[in-house]
Amino acid sequence: MTNHWRDIKNADLILINGANPAEAHPVGFQWFMRAKLDPKRGPGSGGGAKIIHADPRFTRTSAVADMYLRIRTGTDVAYFGGLINHVLQNNLFHDEYVRNYTNASFLVNKSYSFHDGLFSGYNPAKRSYEISSWSYQTDPATGFALRDMTLQDPQSVFQLMKTHYSRYTPDMVSSITGVPVDDFNKVADLVGQMGKPDKVMTIVYAVGLTHHTTGGQLIRSGAVLQLLLGNMGRPGGGMNAERGHANIQGNTDHAISWEILPGYLKIPAPGQKTIADYVAQSAPKKSDPHSWNFFGTNYSKFMVSTLKAWYGAAATKANEFAFNFVPKPASNASWMTIYDQALKGSMQGLILSGMTAASIGPDSNQVRQALSNLKWLVVMDALPTTSSEFWRAPGVDPSQVKTEVFMVPTTHWIEKDGSFVNSGRWSQWKDQVILPQGQARHDHWILADIFQRVKKLYQAQGGKFPAPILNLTFDYQDPLKPTLDEIAKEINGKDLSTGKQMTSFANLKDDGTTTAGDWIYTGSYLDTGNLMKRRGGIQDPATNDPTGMGFYANWAWSWPLNRRVMYNRASADLDGKPWDPSRPGITWNGSKWVGDVPDYPPTLAPHDPAAWLPFIMNGEGVGRLFSNGMVDGPFPEHYEPVESPVQNPLHATNSASPVAFLYDQAAGRPSRFGAATEFPYIATSYRLTEHEHYVTQHVPHLVQLQPKPFVEIPYELATQKGIKSGDAVRVSSKRGKVEVQAIVTKRLGPMTVAGQKVYTIGIPIHWGYVGIAADRDPGHGRYWLANALTPFVGDANARTPEFKAFLVNLEKI
Amino acid sequence: MATIKAGESYGFFTDTSICIGCKACEVACKEWNQLQGNEPAFLADSYDNTGDLDAQNWRHVKFIEHVPDQSMTEGNGTAWLLMSDVCKHCKHASCMEVCPTGAIIRTEFDSVFIQQDVCNGCRNCIAACPYGVIGMNQSTGTAHKCTLCYDRLQGGMEPACAKACPTQSIQFGPLADLQKAADVRLAALQSQGVTQAQLYGRDDTVYGGLNAFFLLMDKPETYGLPNASNAVLPTRNDVGGYLAALVTAVLGVIAGIVAFRRRGPA
Amino acid sequence: MFLAAEHFARAPQWTWFILFYFFFAGLAGGSYVIATLLRLSRDAHDEPAARLGFYISLAATVLCPILLTADLGSVSWVRFWHMLIDVTPGDTGLSFKYWSPMSVGAWALLVFGFFSFVSAVDAWWGDRQGGALLPVGLNRVFNVAGAIVGLFLASYTGVLLSVSNQPVWSDTWTLGGLFLASGLSGSAALITLLVRYRPDASFSLQRLRLADGYFGVLELALLIAFFATVAIAGEAGRILPWFALWIVALIGIGASLLGVRRPAHVEASGESAAMAPVAMEATVVSAVVLLAVLALRAAVIFSAQ
Ligand SMILES: Nc1nc2c(c(=O)[nH]1)N[C@H]1C(S)=C(S)[C@@H](COP(=O)(O)OP(=O)(O)OC[C@H]3O[C@@H](n4cnc5c(=O)[nH]c(N)nc54)[C@H](O)[C@@H]3O)O[C@H]1N2
Ligand SMILES: Nc1nc2c(c(=O)[nH]1)N[C@H]1C(S)=C(S)[C@@H](COP(=O)(O)OP(=O)(O)OC[C@H]3O[C@@H](n4cnc5c(=O)[nH]c(N)nc54)[C@H](O)[C@@H]3O)O[C@H]1N2
Ligand code: SF4
Ligand code: SF4
Ligand code: SF4
Ligand code: SF4
Ligand code: SF4
Ligand SMILES: [Mo]
Repeated sequence: MTNHWRDIKNADLILINGANPAEAHPVGFQWFMRAKLDPKRGPGSGGGAKIIHADPRFTRTSAVADMYLRIRTGTDVAYFGGLINHVLQNNLFHDEYVRNYTNASFLVNKSYSFHDGLFSGYNPAKRSYEISSWSYQTDPATGFALRDMTLQDPQSVFQLMKTHYSRYTPDMVSSITGVPVDDFNKVADLVGQMGKPDKVMTIVYAVGLTHHTTGGQLIRSGAVLQLLLGNMGRPGGGMNAERGHANIQGNTDHAISWEILPGYLKIPAPGQKTIADYVAQSAPKKSDPHSWNFFGTNYSKFMVSTLKAWYGAAATKANEFAFNFVPKPASNASWMTIYDQALKGSMQGLILSGMTAASIGPDSNQVRQALSNLKWLVVMDALPTTSSEFWRAPGVDPSQVKTEVFMVPTTHWIEKDGSFVNSGRWSQWKDQVILPQGQARHDHWILADIFQRVKKLYQAQGGKFPAPILNLTFDYQDPLKPTLDEIAKEINGKDLSTGKQMTSFANLKDDGTTTAGDWIYTGSYLDTGNLMKRRGGIQDPATNDPTGMGFYANWAWSWPLNRRVMYNRASADLDGKPWDPSRPGITWNGSKWVGDVPDYPPTLAPHDPAAWLPFIMNGEGVGRLFSNGMVDGPFPEHYEPVESPVQNPLHATNSASPVAFLYDQAAGRPSRFGAATEFPYIATSYRLTEHEHYVTQHVPHLVQLQPKPFVEIPYELATQKGIKSGDAVRVSSKRGKVEVQAIVTKRLGPMTVAGQKVYTIGIPIHWGYVGIAADRDPGHGRYWLANALTPFVGDANARTPEFKAFLVNLEKI
Repeated sequence: MATIKAGESYGFFTDTSICIGCKACEVACKEWNQLQGNEPAFLADSYDNTGDLDAQNWRHVKFIEHVPDQSMTEGNGTAWLLMSDVCKHCKHASCMEVCPTGAIIRTEFDSVFIQQDVCNGCRNCIAACPYGVIGMNQSTGTAHKCTLCYDRLQGGMEPACAKACPTQSIQFGPLADLQKAADVRLAALQSQGVTQAQLYGRDDTVYGGLNAFFLLMDKPETYGLPNASNAVLPTRNDVGGYLAALVTAVLGVIAGIVAFRRRGPA
Repeated sequence: MFLAAEHFARAPQWTWFILFYFFFAGLAGGSYVIATLLRLSRDAHDEPAARLGFYISLAATVLCPILLTADLGSVSWVRFWHMLIDVTPGDTGLSFKYWSPMSVGAWALLVFGFFSFVSAVDAWWGDRQGGALLPVGLNRVFNVAGAIVGLFLASYTGVLLSVSNQPVWSDTWTLGGLFLASGLSGSAALITLLVRYRPDASFSLQRLRLADGYFGVLELALLIAFFATVAIAGEAGRILPWFALWIVALIGIGASLLGVRRPAHVEASGESAAMAPVAMEATVVSAVVLLAVLALRAAVIFSAQ
């Protein structure tokens, strides 16, 4: 989230796309309701914030929303594109903001083009873009980008964008999304009011946007709309990702993804020999004289401090701070790639901790095959999972599975202390609630033990490249049992010359005198103590929330530097006054910035000749309407899901994403995608309030609430097929099938898309062959895995699987 | 919330227009009251697999689908009615009226409470409660229902269900405060054109007023609740029932006397 | 006064024990009432039948608390006495709620038990010793008082059902009267049936049949009223599934009604020669009537649940 949960109460309009917060984030959803119940909020003259929920299914969120739009899955780029077009064509954008706080005025290279669904630079053989044409015209003298503050230059981002989105007329939007034109226009009318400085809108999304081959662009399209309306950086605004597991935000920050190091530093690439090489290829470059480019400027300090945290005394200036100890992967190593490699037989073993590969990934039948290609599999979990049990799943002959499976019992989060980082980036320390049960050990103890044993082996036997292991800092009191407190302290980092905890990442150095385990967490654990433990909350709002904006600076700690709303310099105008005085983010009081922790030098006056542009982290210093940071285009463009019943109404020849990575094709395996002729219905998969993925299959009270797998079938389609609620049905895709009961409902309905009637079938994800329900089932949940249906393909950028849009057939059994 | 004092009337205002059907209330109630719940059963009835209030379910979230065919719905909470049902703690409580043992009492918090050590499992209250609230617990042989978390109130804590409700759809507090809040909320909805919104049990038209009252988004009958004209107390039938019995008794006795009258020589 | 309410109540799951309790409570009260009326007929020949009635009454009465206790189940049966004594901690006392038929009924059963027991002992004394235990006048007053309680016992079970929010039960005012009429009819039939074991009571046979006929008329009228009230309440649909039981109940009423006609050959009362055919017919008729009493209650109980 650019903002945070409590901040949603500050919004006038709440767009929910690709998220079902009432079901997936019920506790956070209270803030939506507060906004709705607050008579001061809302478009026009207020009377309560309005909630607009766009979702293929009418959900428990839709039930309490002010408007519900039945949108076809995978088409939100068209929806946002239509809104962008509406805002641009009717001059409803926030003019001062767009001119000064976005790259609307930047001039783009003339070689940039967009034709028939393809941006310039496409290489069909490689299925990728050469992105050099997606860059700014620069002043040869300074290297800075050229700008036209009138926004009239045809090469300005503003004009290119206007042209790009002019195709997204209400009729086109309707034809792509299935949302009736009238309904779309009603929404456009409300959204159009949000460009006024005294109104603010938030966009909330989750995996309904990310689980697509166009996931990254789906989100960017919302962000672009928010920039045009001047809503980024403001309380009540922003582009807000509701994250998943209680600590998935912390996971992400600490580099759960293969392509980053902690704190979103890029993973080094082959060929980078020195820190300088690395920084040159990784750090954003300054493209405007007034851009601070804080991230780019300090990249080497963050990297060196990280390396110092890892390798301590072994990281010296002379050895490039042990930069060569860090792996430099030559190819993608994301989630699907792991199983692709296993399928190819090029993996020995796998350690799974805190997730079950056999349920969560797309095409679970193929994933199961991949697991059985391994020599060994370690499952670290507190409970049996479909992965720990995959070798004896119903229909599997254990004698045919050669994989040796080790179950290592771990503690559950409830059995240890530590931090949870919520979607709003608040790192909240929690206590241990119960003692470890049975033989369970903490994950970090298990990993420490493995590390020490591996280290001993290297010490005893040497090996190819022992240095990274032998030199790793591990100076915990008990090297076999580090405490989470010690680790948190280490993550914060310290000043090696004084031994004191670092107070801010702004003080990190690249001379080897500072450490930071994760620079964005610097400032969370000071010499005075662990700020994540702070609990200055609603017991005393006057002290803890003096502005009334809900920042609660004395509650826990949020990165960066306890800032609650990111990019908050953009919440104030050029003079430093809040766009809406009743909803200030930060305010220049004549001598300093007050309010939230400023995203800006605290005493730098807005009209100081040296004043930076508001978006301090990127090279431009302003929000990017046009970006060359994505592999699939500088402007978000609508592409059909890989499996879709219709051709893209914008460009049928380039219907789906031209750059989505096709694993089976690349590996020479037969295609596992289905066509609408055989699989005529759209399907989407999702969660229910009552279960947390797969793990709650072990919780009796929750199993009672949703005791069995089911699929949701549109009433009209069910009537045609003679299916009634409770009937057993088979839903099949090119990859597999589920056989479960049907719930027939009008909450799912027909849509008219590209002149054609389409139906969506809903597939909750929570069941498999492990847990109470499966134990009660005569077939032991054999055909209960939702992911037996889903396609093995993902977002062109992040490779997040396309769980949300695929084709199926439906039969009554 | 303010301290909870004996001698004051407490209750719930359940605002169904902001209920998200998350069932946190159901589970919180079970956790606090150590109710195991029933055997899992898939009911294929929208998202409800609890079915009814009973001895194991003292909260039950109803799901009533009224989704129109067209895609856009305006008006909050009217298309999929979600309602967290519970004992109403009726001012005129049918259950309490008929209970022969005196097990059902009004507590110092003005809630209706079944004393487990007094109840003998006759089930008369079950036949009487017009809301289908009470169930028999076979292992204790007694009638069970929501206690308004009597034990928590005594400890100064709000009921578990209200505490767990994320959207504050369930509001707990002194009745007068709740009634005020409900009036404000109803006025707001009415002014937004949600004319079907209505308060249920806020005034005395059903059972003299309900301590656990509701804001509904449709007619009470839609939710399976008696409306004002259906909300009748069991004892309404005392007089008629006994009168018919009395008349029958008189006629029966006369019939007997006539039939057994002396005829002929002894 | 009677609202045709729409019901949302749960069923109390009163089934077999309660059915038989209702059956025996009707016979206990009904037999006592008939016995008293026979004794009051001022015809000494009716005394054997009256005594038979008191015996029957006691036998049926004894079953009642057993059935009620059994209905409370294996855990709570020991708390049957909570019906009479309120054990609320700090507020202990007698439990008597005049507005709750179940509460009044529990007391009525206790009180009636006393009457029934004393009258049966008195009858036994008379049969064994030939004399009376109590002075005749006092005994009659005692019997009248007992009969009043008996009338209550035979009827309150119907009122109890009505004083609820169950569909059918609470939609009609007829159940108290209906159960009473049917209880009286059943009692007359039961005494008739058992006269074969007490030939000296056969003098009253004809008159019992006649009384049964009158009770049948009452019952029929009330049953029609019952159907009408339930139909008006819109709950007729709940009655229909129990069609067979209602038919049995109606056949029983029909059998009762047969008693209104006067077969000439039983005029010569006390003559054993005339007894045999009468006994045959009376036995069959009485059995049908008794079955109908049970069926009626079953139909009523099951219709609501
Ligand atoms: N109860 C519960 N809560 C959870 C979880 C859980 O398992 N159970 N999981 C947690 C985790 S890990 C995560 S990641 C989050 C996920 O939270 P959400 O993203 O909210 O969860 P989903 O149910 O997967 O998907 C959200 C909605 O997206 C809709 N959708 C699908 N495709 C599209 C589309 O193209 N456009 C639009 N506009 N909508 C679309 C679906 O119909 C669905 O209603 O939830 C977290 N919270
Ligand atoms: N088709 C389809 N597939 C999906 C999705 C979808 O929307 N559609 N959603 C995807 C998403 S967003 C997600 S996040 C995944 C979720 O998939 P998973 O993460 O696999 O789901 P969970 O059941 O939450 O698994 C968490 C596991 O962690 C264990 N655990 C809990 N605490 C600890 C601990 O402290 N240590 C260890 N070692 N283990 C612990 C639990 O016992 C449990 O087994 O599913 C993905 N799969
Ligand atoms: S389970 Fe935890 S994280 Fe999820 S909504 Fe509830 S409180 Fe929040
Ligand atoms: S709702 Fe039912 S159980 Fe609750 S007080 Fe009213 S009558 Fe009694
Ligand atoms: S079951 Fe218990 S609480 Fe209910 S009426 Fe009987 S004694 Fe009273
Ligand atoms: S008040 Fe307590 S007992 Fe009643 S429903 Fe709520 S949690 Fe359950
Ligand atoms: S906890 Fe609140 S929002 Fe959730 S179902 Fe219960 S009443 Fe509704
Ligand atoms: Mo997730």
